Formats: sequence, structure tokens, C-alpha cells
Amino acid sequence: MNTKEIVRNLKPLKTVDKVMFAGTAFALDKVLNTMAAAFPAFKGEVAKKNIKVQMKLRDNSFGRLFIFSDGRVSARTGIYPGADVEMVFETWEIARKLTFVIRDQMDFVNAAKNNNLQLLGDDEDSDWFSGLLLKVFAAPVLYGGAYGTKMPNGEMRYVNGTNGGAVFVYVKNGRIVRITPIDFDKDDPDPWVITAKGKKFSPPKRSTVSSHTMSLKSLVYSPDRILYPMKRVDFDPNGERHPENRGTSGYERISWEEATDIVANEIMRVRKEYGAGTVFHTSGSHHTWGNVGYYTSCTRRFFNCIGATFDARNPDSWEGFAWGAVHHYGGSARNGGAEYYGTVEDCLQNAELIVFWSADPEVTSGVYGAAEGTIRRAWMKELGIEAVHIDPFFNCTASVFKGTWIVPRPGTDTAIALAIAHQWIVDGTYDKDYIERRTLGFDVWKRYLLGEDDGIPKDVHWQAKESGIPARIIKALAKKWASVPTYLAAGALHSFGGAGRQAYATEWASAMVCLTAMQGWGKPGVNFGCLQHGTPLDTHFWFPGYAEGGMSGDYVATGAGVHAYNRMPQSPSVNSNAQGIPRIRIPEAIMNKETQAHIAGVYSQNSQFPVMKYPLPGHNPVKMYYKFGGSHFGTQPESNRFINMYRTDSLEFVVNQAIWMEGETRFADVILPACTNFERWDIGEAANCGGYIEKAYLQNNYRVIHMQHKCIEPLGESKPDFEIYGIIANKLGLGQVYNEGNSDFDWCKRIFESSDLPSRIDWLTFLQKGYYVVPPLPEDRRDPVSYRWFYEGKKKDTPELTPLPSESYGRYNEGLQTQSGLFEFESLSLKRFAADDEERPPIVKYKPSWEGPRSELFKKYPIQLVSTHPRHSFHTMQDGKQGFMNEVSDHRLRIDGFDYWICRMHPHDAEKRGLKSHDIIEIFNDRGSVLCALEVTSRIPIGLIHSHESCGDYRPVGVPGKSPDRNGCINTLTPGRTVSKHAHGIAPNSCLVQVRKWVEPEDPANYISDFAKLKGPAVNSAAEQELSHNAKKGRN
Amino acid sequence: MKRWHMVFDVNKCIGCYTCTLSCKDEHVGNEWFPYTDRQKKRDQKWIEMGKRERGTVPRVDLAYRPALCNHCDEAPCRKKAPGAMVKRADGIMLIDPRAARDESLVDACPFGAISWNDEVGAAQKCTFCAHLIDDGWKEPRCVQSCPLRALKAIYMEDVDFEKIVEEKGLVSLAPASVAPRVWYKNLHRFTKNMIAGEIAFMEDDDTETCAADIEVFLKKDGEVVAKTLTSTFGEFTFDPVEPGSGDYEVSAELPGKGKVFTLVTMGEESVDTGILCPGKDPTPSHDAWEPIRE
Repeated sequence: MNTKEIVRNLKPLKTVDKVMFAGTAFALDKVLNTMAAAFPAFKGEVAKKNIKVQMKLRDNSFGRLFIFSDGRVSARTGIYPGADVEMVFETWEIARKLTFVIRDQMDFVNAAKNNNLQLLGDDEDSDWFSGLLLKVFAAPVLYGGAYGTKMPNGEMRYVNGTNGGAVFVYVKNGRIVRITPIDFDKDDPDPWVITAKGKKFSPPKRSTVSSHTMSLKSLVYSPDRILYPMKRVDFDPNGERHPENRGTSGYERISWEEATDIVANEIMRVRKEYGAGTVFHTSGSHHTWGNVGYYTSCTRRFFNCIGATFDARNPDSWEGFAWGAVHHYGGSARNGGAEYYGTVEDCLQNAELIVFWSADPEVTSGVYGAAEGTIRRAWMKELGIEAVHIDPFFNCTASVFKGTWIVPRPGTDTAIALAIAHQWIVDGTYDKDYIERRTLGFDVWKRYLLGEDDGIPKDVHWQAKESGIPARIIKALAKKWASVPTYLAAGALHSFGGAGRQAYATEWASAMVCLTAMQGWGKPGVNFGCLQHGTPLDTHFWFPGYAEGGMSGDYVATGAGVHAYNRMPQSPSVNSNAQGIPRIRIPEAIMNKETQAHIAGVYSQNSQFPVMKYPLPGHNPVKMYYKFGGSHFGTQPESNRFINMYRTDSLEFVVNQAIWMEGETRFADVILPACTNFERWDIGEAANCGGYIEKAYLQNNYRVIHMQHKCIEPLGESKPDFEIYGIIANKLGLGQVYNEGNSDFDWCKRIFESSDLPSRIDWLTFLQKGYYVVPPLPEDRRDPVSYRWFYEGKKKDTPELTPLPSESYGRYNEGLQTQSGLFEFESLSLKRFAADDEERPPIVKYKPSWEGPRSELFKKYPIQLVSTHPRHSFHTMQDGKQGFMNEVSDHRLRIDGFDYWICRMHPHDAEKRGLKSHDIIEIFNDRGSVLCALEVTSRIPIGLIHSHESCGDYRPVGVPGKSPDRNGCINTLTPGRTVSKHAHGIAPNSCLVQVRKWVEPEDPANYISDFAKLKGPAVNSAAEQELSHNAKKGRN
Repeated sequence: MKRWHMVFDVNKCIGCYTCTLSCKDEHVGNEWFPYTDRQKKRDQKWIEMGKRERGTVPRVDLAYRPALCNHCDEAPCRKKAPGAMVKRADGIMLIDPRAARDESLVDACPFGAISWNDEVGAAQKCTFCAHLIDDGWKEPRCVQSCPLRALKAIYMEDVDFEKIVEEKGLVSLAPASVAPRVWYKNLHRFTKNMIAGEIAFMEDDDTETCAADIEVFLKKDGEVVAKTLTSTFGEFTFDPVEPGSGDYEVSAELPGKGKVFTLVTMGEESVDTGILCPGKDPTPSHDAWEPIRE
């Protein structure tokens, strides 16, 4: 029995309880004074309040009064009137349990839930006092700096987490000196070894980072940091608000007191005036890291507390899979993406070809995967694994790892896939036994492919007219593919892919899974992947990913319900408000005050069939917008919609809680300055976003679970997001409800304790070293290979809890997550929903894009824009902000003192327009206009241009929403239209534009682009499309 | 004694610029006296990426290589400014920051490795992160963050390193006369050209097929100078070919299908033969396609 258990098992003798609690109460003031003497910073904390605190039993049979005066604490026993804060315990036993040195978090949570512990008094005072008690235990860490590694040269080495890998952070004199990848030490475990084709492969003993992680120091100290709260100069909460000036007016510095008063008062005003769900909240993703201070954690709990309307998110990196492929083989918990277990080993041992189809893992790093997969892809050549890259752009993976580049016209990938299937049928080179045993509806699809339905065989010659790829190339690809074990990377992470974000993308993603099924998915060497995901790491060791709820207490809207909620004692938190806004229709919801969309749920593919309507019956539209994190400008298609939305009076109040002054922040009424995760406490694991993607850490070569040390003090007056919400919560009387009386540091410890870490490493060692590497399992305990179970007709044996039990329609776990349990070439769910939907039919069909070479718009805008995820920034994060990344000439190019985003064009097209490299060009269509620096290159064919999406730092030349964006927000050009009429994902890769040389206007401030002259400010093509659909469709 | 050398392999570089960024991370905002003053945040790089693209759609080669101080043993900079340059016993060349306040030092390096920092008023360059090496680091920052170690820092006897240079065919951006310490592998992707193309043949049913696994010959003045096999897709590449080296013949024999033959002239740019098909004139490859117009 350990000490904790001994204490827990102590007979609840009242005498023992009395002695122990009275003793603790008697000693408390002395402990506080001793700590204050030892740690000057702790003394500063004690000195923050001059108040009296009464600790007592409910029946007043015992009490002790603590008097805080200028950093000194005195105390006397007894019950006294007039205390500022009262801490009331129901019984001696409760009091003893909660105040004794060795405590159990469960006792605390139970006492709070059962009203056995109460804190009465001013919220801020109560919060301070309860926080102070916990800080006693953590004083050596929080005030003595007892964490991190002291280097011989006097620097301190801390650990932190980023969206591009775990890092060491070296600090001296309160400033970050450097940020580096982690070289593991001799105490860290050795890596796994994979034996393939007689060779042994093992990753080097170090971690890697994404390039953008190496720019983070420059972002922490960026001149664009917001260092104090601000208010728009012409915004008066009690008078004229001037929403029409959002985006153009300047800001003035205000105090935290004033800023949080305005925000708290507006939350209360809006809710009292308009009722439930009228405060709207959205967060950008990827701008910080950690399980406590991030958006599915503290942010979620805060907005649950005020019953906010959240955005209902579409899976915008997975669209084709979530709305299409999922109906053929399940995987709804992965948004239609495939399993990945054991695939790195299987691929190296058995595959001879990897087809990268719209997959560029060297750019996206899968997601959060640093350069971990790069190390493994370098082994391809050594093993003679061939590569084919199907992508309109000669992407980074193709340029680094070579192979054959096949160059389709955007939007025609499905035609290519159909031709491959056709070739296999003609040649008889598919797994007929598998088709017979494990699939359904192949004959229906076969009829379509052979042209028995419409007289058009979908052969290699037919696809050539659509894709532009010669028939012989696709024939050669089909023959090669069928002749050797082949891995298919449809997107860089067992899904994703730019081809999945375009018109009728459902058909491409579905075609990808159908092709793999035809070759016997799960057979050795036949699977999804490109060595990016599925390393042989220990999946039995649990540590939460950032989307597993953190401190949210929300077991409904986050992944907390699976593991975290019952492992970490906490009080529950749910949102009482059911209203939501589909993210793809935020501007329409705000401006038109009504909208609707299908939402792709994760429990089941069937959950995407109903339509979410806004506003809910009996609810008002939202009136206040509380924006947290990154920018929708530039990351959501047709971004000018968002700009116009801000400049109408539909939103009475906009607050933006942000780290940097950029993008949407410039459209707020009040700005609350947050700090980066280098300036606060948190805890996390590299690449673990569990809750979004289960076991996403299998992209790594090592499982690196890390503390996120507070490396430096927050810059200026900026504060941790956790703390900002706490201040506002206190002003709403929600302090203890929001944080359970815990600081962000306390929550880190609670998350540590909830995980499997304490069985391997103790808290203080972890806190000092900063990370723990989970040893890989021995070779004979590695996870089974994905879908091998399905291929062999066995029960599912891969290590995950999904799909949910009710998603097996026959015996549990004895088939795929489809109605038949089989791979469905003809999807029964789509057949049930809309068998006649020609845009998303039950079998995969090809339909030319609604915005492509065969559409009417092509006459006006004859260039197809390919916009892929950026290489050197993570969406809006790491771009701009006057950071180091501006120096990378593949990211931005400096022309006339301005760092322009880059657009790539074929020499033929450039010559035709009289353009050359480093010209400033205008890319435009009826939706917007963007200025870019031109790079003339053969990495893109004639008729296409390429530019990375998601610069979010919108900088209009003239009037916002009506003039060109100078900074490269490519998504101002892309359509707001959805993939198809019932697949409500984004489709930015179906985009037609024209390009011309940019001539600086004479009066830039008043410059209005042609696109803005086409229609009124509040109307936009996405809304028009939606309205016309609504008018036509009877089904919904 | 052992001394420092650096080797860069073009084929292992993924073009992530992490070397440049980590150099900035180490030196911007940090003063490492007596090694060096701080680096400028903008418009100054001590390790600068170069990029070269060769070929045409769909046979393109994209290569990166960093340029930095060669830490030459017979350094021209040291000859011009002996008072400012410090050659350490371990091979690293430093500019003494106290003697660096002279803008003309920038011209002392014929390879452009020295730049002027107008913010602190000093001539500066790569220090091989000597301040870290002296602190026990095993690699400078650019190497430590390089994902595939395309950049490698090697600490060994000069005689042993010379053997590696010989065996691996390493080359330097600087002439041997200056005894550079930074060497490159696969640099031909930067300095040479390529001749690429594809071969197809007509089936009996008049459909085109990729000619895989065919031996292709590159001849100059009637002599075979290189040969290679076509890929699954009938593609072939001859690399390296000397820029401006004039006329070549590309030929291959397809068993039972006839021969292909074409003449190319190697000028300053790489050449693509297009599609070679027995009995047909060569046709340009993929980049000829125009968007659908109906």
C-alpha cells in the first residue's frame, strides 16, 4: 500500500479528522509566511490581496480566520464576522481530506459536486485564495523555477510543443535564446527496427521539426505581437458603434479592467436582451499547442459556461473522404480516412510501388508530423520502391523522392481512376476472389465502367480527353499497379488531398478506396499510405491528444468521453445551447440571418443526411462574435464574404482574442492580447491530436510526451488564454465553475496524473527533464496491419474503439462500418439517401467540374488555380508577422519592400501575358482579386497556376472587401460553393481565374476592383448558390 | 589533429530551408562575443539556399543547395585582411568582431560569403556555430536541424577527409587552390544539364504503348557516351550532360517494333526529346496540352 492508499483507508475517526484538519489550519499561515520568505515571487502573490478569509465547518464548530496584510499572513482560531471569503467544509472528514498534504483530486471534485465544499465571497478574491492554497504545493516550481535543465553556460533548457514537433527552448535572462529539435539522450529508449527485404531500418535517435517551427522565436518576439488590450477608436459600447468601419479604423490602448468589463458586460447584455445562443464563438486552429490552454480545452469550457453558439465544422482537409468514401467502407470516426496501423512496416516489407495521388507529405507533414515521415521515405530508394506522383503541381515530395510525375487537369482525377479500374477489368487483373468474398455491388459499377449503361466505356482513351494525360501513360500505370503490391497515398495522411477539396470530390475519394479494394485491400503490400502514418510505436500507452478535451469537462463535444473523463476527476461541462452555425456558411448566417447545411458527423456516415438549420426554432440569430485564434480570412473559401460580414451591423459586438495583429483581428471592436504557448504552462505530445485523429502520433518515429514549460514571462500585458477566460468568467460569477479553482499549471498536473505517465516517470522528474519517450514495443507485440483482418475475413483486431458497436449491422466488429459489413462498390447508405443524386451517386461516377474547363465561366476566366496547403506555414500560423519566414524565398518574395505571396505559372502562359519572374501580378475573378509575386516555372503545366492557400493576413489595397488583397489571401478567389448539393464540404480547388500584370492605381485608398462592381456588398455567389439550391430542393 | 569539414548532399536536401531558419534562430537577437555580433533579421543570411530547376513538364528536376563560408585554409579573405580573420586550429574561420567594422571586408571573399550588417556595423559570415562547438555541441545549428542530414558536419583528420572527397567524388563551390572545407555531393543537379524524353510504340490496334525497359543510347560524334533503361512509362534521363556541349544523338531499338532516333543540341538549358515513336517524328511531351476548348 502506498501512502496515498494508507491515508484513503484511514478509519474516518472523527478524532483523527479533527486533529489533522485543525493541525493543517493551524499551520497554514506559518507555511504561507515561510514560503513567502523563501520565494520573493510567492510573497508577491500573497501580497496581491489584503483580505480576511474564514475557513470553517458548516456548523461553526471549528473555524480559523486568516488575515492577509501586505504579504504577511496572520491567523486566529474561531468564527469571526466580516470575512471577505469563506471556505466552508461540510464535515471534519471532508475538511481533513481536502486540506491534508496528500490529497486525492477525486475527493475535491466530489466535495464540490455534492456541495461539501463551498467558497463564498467575491469571485476574484475566492479564486485567488483557492489558487494560493494550491500554489503552496507548487511554489518551488512556480516561484523557485525548479524545472528544466540548467546548462553549463548558464542557460536554462526547457521543453515545449509546437504544431511542427516537440522542441528544446533555451532561455537566458528571461529571453528565448534558441529553439531546437530534440536530440534524445542515453536514458531515452532506442528506436524500433524494421527488417525489410534483408535490410534493417531504424530512425536516428533524435526528433525532427517542420521548417516553420524554426521560425517561432521570431514570432514570439514579432513586432506584430499585441501587447496590451485595445479598443477600436470609434467603438463606444454605450453609444455609436460604427460597425461599418471595422477593418479601417485604428485602435487605442485600454486597460485589462476596461477591456474585460466591456466583454463581460456585452456577453450579459446580449444574452439578456436576445436570449439563448446569441453569443457566437469560433476558433481558428493550429496557432498554438497543448492540452490545457487550447481551443478544445479551456476555450470549450468557457464558452459552454455562457451557452455560446459554436460553428459546426466541416472536415475541411478530408472533404472527399468524409462525404464520399465513407459511404463505401465506413471509417466515419476518421472522417472517411483509412486505418494506418502497421502500414509503415508492411509497406517497406511488401510494397513495390507507392502511388502518391494528390499527396504531398513533404509539405503537409501529414498533419503535425514534422519531418518524421521524410526519414522513412528516404528508405524507399534503398529498397527500390517505385513512386508515381499524380498532381497538377510538381510537388515537393515528387521533387525530393523522384518517380514519375503524371499531370492531370484539376477536377479530372476521377476520370483517371475510372480508366484504371476499366483497364483492370479488361485485363482481368484485379482480385476476383476478394471481390467475391468481401465486397458488394461490383457488378453495378462494372456495368458503368464498361459503358453498358450509357454506351461510353470509361477507358484510358476516354479519360485522356478529360485529364489531358495520354492513354498510354494511364494504361502503363494500371498495368504496373496491378502487377506489384501497391500502396496508394490518396492525400498525405490516409486521406486528405487537394483533389478531395473540389467539385464532386466525393467521387475521387470514393474511387481511391474502390481501386484499393479491387486489388485486395489488406493483402500484404496492398494498403493506403506513403510511410507517413503507422509506425510501430506503443499504442497501448495512453496520453491524451489535444482534442481529447483537456480541462473542458465536455464529454459530449470533445473526445473527452472516450478516456479522459473517467480518468481525470473533473466536474462536467456541457453547452445548454443547441444552436450552431455551419462553418462554411458563417457569413450567410450573419448577413442573411439564416442558413443551413449538412454536417458530417463522426459517429456514423448516416448522421450527415439531416440538415442543420440556423437559427434554431425559438432562437434569435447571433449578435456578438467572440473570435479566438487564427483567421478565417484566407483559410475559408471566398473570404471576401467574411470581410463584408464584419462591416455590417448584424454583429453588434466583435471581440478578438489573439496573439498577433493580423487578419481578422483588425476587424474587432475589442482586442484581448493572448500570449504564445512559450509564455505559459501546458502539457502535450508531439503530433497527438487524439480526438481528431486517433493515434495521430503514429506519424512519429518516437512518442514524445512533453511538458510545455513556461519558458518566459508573457510579453507586455499579454496573458495566457486560460487566464483571460478566467478574468471574464470571474466577472460573470463563473470563476470556480470555469477553472475549478485550479491554475493552468494545476491542470497540467491533473492531466499528467490521468495518463499512463505516472507508471513510468514521477511528476517531478518529468517536470525537470520536460519529456518522456515511450519505448516501442518488442517486435512480437506490434499492432496488426490495417485491414489485414478484413482481407482474411477475421474479426477486426486493430487497436481502436471505433466504429461504435451500433455501427456493426451484423455481428459486432466482423465487418466494415457499412450496412452490409462488406466493402460496398454500390453504397447502400447513398442508395437509401438519394439513389438518383447524379452528383453523388451510389456508385462512383465522373462528372466534369461545375467550375472547370467545361463550365461557362471558362470563357471569361481560362486559368485553373491550384491552391494547396502551404509548406512554410501552418495555415495562417508562421506566415507574415515580420518573422524569419519572410526570408524564405520559396514562401514570400520581397519586391519594392513588400513581401509578396508567390504564384507559379508556366513559361508559355507567362510569355503570352508579357510576364516574367518577380513581376507583381493580379489574379482575379468575379469573387476577388489578389496580388502575388510571379514565379515562372515548369512545376505547373500550361493553363494552370499554383499558389499555396491560407495566408490569413488580409491587407486590402483600398476598401476592404472591394479591392485586391496585397498579401496573398488566395482564398478570396476560391468559390464558397460546396462540393456538391448534398456534400457540404469546401471546394477551393475548383477555381477559375485570369492573371494580368498589376499596375498600382493612382488613388489606392479609394480603389474599387471590378469584382466589387458586379454586385452589392451583402450578396455573394455562395449565398446565391445556396438560395437557388434551397428553392429547388424538395428533400430538405 | 582533427578538424571540421562540412558535406552537403543535394540528393538528401528536401528544400525546407530549416538550415537558414535555424541559423537565424541562433544568431538574430543573440550576440556571441567574442565570436560574432548578432545577425540581421532581414536581408542577411549566413547560409543561403539556392534553387535550380531543370527540364520541362512532365520531366522536371528541382534541386536546392546552400552556400555558406567555405572556411578555406588558404582563404583569400585572410590574405586580404589578415588582421580581421582568425583561422582556428580546428579549421573554423572567424571574423574577429572587433576588427570587423570595415565594410570593405565584404569584398575580401570572392565567393560572396561575407556580408555587411548595417545595424551593428560589422562584416559577418557563418561561424560554424563555433560558440556552440566550444560549448560541446557536436554540430552547428544548420546541421542539427537538417531532417535527412543533407548537411553533415564531420570532425576528422584532413588526410582521412581527403579520402572521402576522393571516394565520394565530392566537389566544392570554391577552387581547390583555396583549400575549402565545405564540400558537395551530387552538385551536377546544379551545374550540369540533362537530356530527357520518353519512348512509345504503336500496337497492332494502332494504340500507343509506353516502351518500358528499353536500352537508350546517348552518342556524341558516333561514340556512345551514356546509356540508360527506360522506366515503366518509357521515360529516360541522361544526367549529367555538360551545358553547351553541342550535338548528341539519342537512339534506341525496340524489339520487333523498330528504332527511334533523334538529334539534340545541348545549349545552356536542359533538353527534352519529347515522345520518340518508331516511324513517327518526335512530338513534344505533356506541356503541349492546351486546356479543353469546345
